[in-house]
Amino acid sequence: MFGRKSKSDHPRPDENFEPYEEFSGIPMPVYWIAIALAAWGAFMLYDTGKDVTLAQDERVEERAVQISADQGEGGNLFVANCSTCHQPDGEGLRGAVPPLAGSEVLAAGPEIVARILLRGIDGPIRVGGDDFDGHMPSFASALNDDEISRIASYVTLTFGETDAKLDPKRVADLRHEVGDAGSFAGGAELATIVTSMPPQPPHPAPTAADAMTATVQDLVFAGRDDVWACASCHGDLGQGGENTPRLAGQPAKYLTKQLNDFRDGTRDNESMQIVAAGLSDAETAALGAYFATLRATSNASPNLSADLARGERLALQGDWSLGVPACFTCHGSSGFGVAPDFPALAAQHAPYTASQLAAWAGGGRQNSPLGLMSQISQALSSQDRRAVADYLASLPPVPAGRTASAQEGTSNAE
Amino acid sequence: MPVTLGLLLALSFVVSLLALAFLIWAIANRQITIDQHDAETVFEAGEVRGDAGEEAHPHRFDPVQAGIDQISARPVLVLIAAATFWLVAGSVFGLIASLKLHWPDWLDFAAPLTFGRMRTLHLNLVIYGWLSQAGVASVMWIIPRIFHTPSRRPQLIIWGALLWNIGVTLGAVAIARGWTDGEEWLEIPWQVDIFLAAGGACFIAPLIQTTRARQVHHIYVSGWYFLAAILWFPVLFVVANLPLYGGAQEATINWWFAHNVLGLWLTPLGVGAAYYFIPKIIGKPIYSYAVSLLGFWGLALFYSQVGIHHLIGGPVPTWLVTLSVVHSVMMFIPVIAVAINQHVTVAMNLWALRESIPLRFISFGAVMYTLASFQGSIEALRSVNTITHFTQYTVGHAHLGAYAFVSLVMFGAIYQILPRATGRVFPWPGLLKLHFWLVVIGFAIYFLALSIGGVLQGLAMLDATRPFRDSVEVVLPYLQARSVGGTLMTLGHLVFALNLLGLAFMTRDESASTVAAE
Repeated sequence: MFGRKSKSDHPRPDENFEPYEEFSGIPMPVYWIAIALAAWGAFMLYDTGKDVTLAQDERVEERAVQISADQGEGGNLFVANCSTCHQPDGEGLRGAVPPLAGSEVLAAGPEIVARILLRGIDGPIRVGGDDFDGHMPSFASALNDDEISRIASYVTLTFGETDAKLDPKRVADLRHEVGDAGSFAGGAELATIVTSMPPQPPHPAPTAADAMTATVQDLVFAGRDDVWACASCHGDLGQGGENTPRLAGQPAKYLTKQLNDFRDGTRDNESMQIVAAGLSDAETAALGAYFATLRATSNASPNLSADLARGERLALQGDWSLGVPACFTCHGSSGFGVAPDFPALAAQHAPYTASQLAAWAGGGRQNSPLGLMSQISQALSSQDRRAVADYLASLPPVPAGRTASAQEGTSNAE
Repeated sequence: MPVTLGLLLALSFVVSLLALAFLIWAIANRQITIDQHDAETVFEAGEVRGDAGEEAHPHRFDPVQAGIDQISARPVLVLIAAATFWLVAGSVFGLIASLKLHWPDWLDFAAPLTFGRMRTLHLNLVIYGWLSQAGVASVMWIIPRIFHTPSRRPQLIIWGALLWNIGVTLGAVAIARGWTDGEEWLEIPWQVDIFLAAGGACFIAPLIQTTRARQVHHIYVSGWYFLAAILWFPVLFVVANLPLYGGAQEATINWWFAHNVLGLWLTPLGVGAAYYFIPKIIGKPIYSYAVSLLGFWGLALFYSQVGIHHLIGGPVPTWLVTLSVVHSVMMFIPVIAVAINQHVTVAMNLWALRESIPLRFISFGAVMYTLASFQGSIEALRSVNTITHFTQYTVGHAHLGAYAFVSLVMFGAIYQILPRATGRVFPWPGLLKLHFWLVVIGFAIYFLALSIGGVLQGLAMLDATRPFRDSVEVVLPYLQARSVGGTLMTLGHLVFALNLLGLAFMTRDESASTVAAE
């Protein structure tokens, strides 16, 4: 309408008109906007100084930790790989993990230690007069020849008072010699090469449960159709990582219940629902029992940058102002779990714990007894959930010592 | 020491701003005095003023009579034809990729048809095949006109177009077969990029020669944008494609390049074309020379640091990201400047929008430049980025810039250039309008759907208590709406191609004066 009327008022411009600019000044508001933005920008840039300071302090701290860990040949490797179970002082855990200090095995020299590191131990063992149910994993794939030689030399020097050094080349030979011999069958087999060991308890004959474990191992390492290998995500030792949970050492019945819940749709997870759909009742029970017996060193770390002190308070004391009980009231005094309903929390990966707490809070997960976890998680803020997840990830994992059957026995007794 | 870093950054920022202000002030003043001086010279020697109208009106120039258009026409037509082909191919791939997001099992029988390759083909074909060539065509058309001298070495430009299209074709084949450099916007393998670099060199050499032979003293604003673009892009393209980088460094170079392709290549091509065609079609000058200086030098100073805002939260130094966020926000200044110059001229001459379809495309595109840049500045803020990053919102924003702004300006430019380059008229003027409404309505659906869906998706992902699947389900209806919008846009492109075919094969030659009334 406007255009039609003005068509005659505005004769079509000359085809030869050439574009040009007039010499008007810059409008005043543009100056004000430019000055305001410049001030804001300068402040923002000046303010990044704070972040840089923060990052630098953190780096200095990390380096200090690194330097202290590096002290002593093999010391840092011992701290990272061995001390979680055998403890930093090498005293072990009474009734659970054999001591290194004063052990006859260490007195036998670094070569024996290297053999044990390469093969692991699976079976009863008597050390210093006490019996232990030995479950030491093999470190053959986790450590290289040099690392094994350094650890073996370090522990024999520190705890066995033998200053013999082991050459990495010798470890390579040992690795070749050991081949795929599998774990030492308890102290009984070890005693055949360490003559100074006291009389060892006999290695138990394989049972029906062990036979089931063999078929389950196929499931764990090879998988079957839609049941892809457990180890492909949860690791060879059920240690998990990031948002994939650690399964090693969880109560057998807890794991079995979770698998059954995935299968029934009571617990939601896109991957696990597909996997569990292909498992029979017998298999979920056997898988639960299998992972309950596994032991793995902690590979979790408090990596959510949350407030560890707050996490510790929540885990140990709870926060009654929020109506949140201490985690350890139900999950055991060290977060090692209480069969059959309460899983181990210690050394669980922080992202997994935090995401599960969030799922309880948001209703994405609802399969806890009496809806306990839903209430607790809803009461926690997002920071609290991350804080407690970080703290739990910093704890040592469930120690060795209880077989699947022993665990079921305990729970029955309770 | 750390305090010094913040202080150093802030100080160098302020100093560079002061330098920018001084530069603009100096150029503006010098140009004004010289121009007045020149004008006086003209008037003193003005005995000829009465008889020659050309001298009395310094802002008139007949490119046809000067034999300029005649020489530019062939290379420009070759570039436009190739660009249109890639536009149609690229938008079909884009539509397939969009449909696959809600029909995941459709066309799943061959690897080249999977989402990852379809989307990548779409991106590379529309950027290197369509937008770059359409932009270079506008440059080849406009530069000789504003410099009052015929294009030098038109044959070399055609060779360049040949090399460039070989590069794009080989790149498309490589991507379809799964051979890429593995970085967004840089997927074409660097071995193939050599063709693009050689083709680009064949565009640049004639342009520099033409510029050196220019017959004007004052370079019109479009000229700055175009000359800067053809100097910036080769540097970006060659540096980013060197197979030298790794890890976080590679990601930094990647986003430095990817965002600068938009800001220092496509944007100057689009803004330069709009700066030329808006006053040209309306017949009125641009509002202010000083404001256009601010727009151009602001872009030059701020834009090159903008890309790292794609790595907010990533493993790159915080100060680098902050610098990028600050520069992104500073882009308000040049964008406001361009907006004042272009929109004021259009707003005071709304009648022209009814009469000229090309102007409708171009000024719509120019408005979208303002909106896309404002949106981009705000999106770069950490608080906003937290929600929109990794969502469809970013995709909507990218299309607001690359499509609604640059592509629409190019549609308008091509519709304006073609009748003048061929001396023919479009056989079906109604189809030009249909093209306009198809792409504008299609884009509106596309953009609104992705912006709303993207925010909902981002909020769902931020809420740890909601399962990830929620963020997928919430965005699904918006992805379907995007496919509807994308279909309309693709139909619009087919109409565009049909218009060009009609012009090529359906019309008799007519005189240039009839052309003007199209």
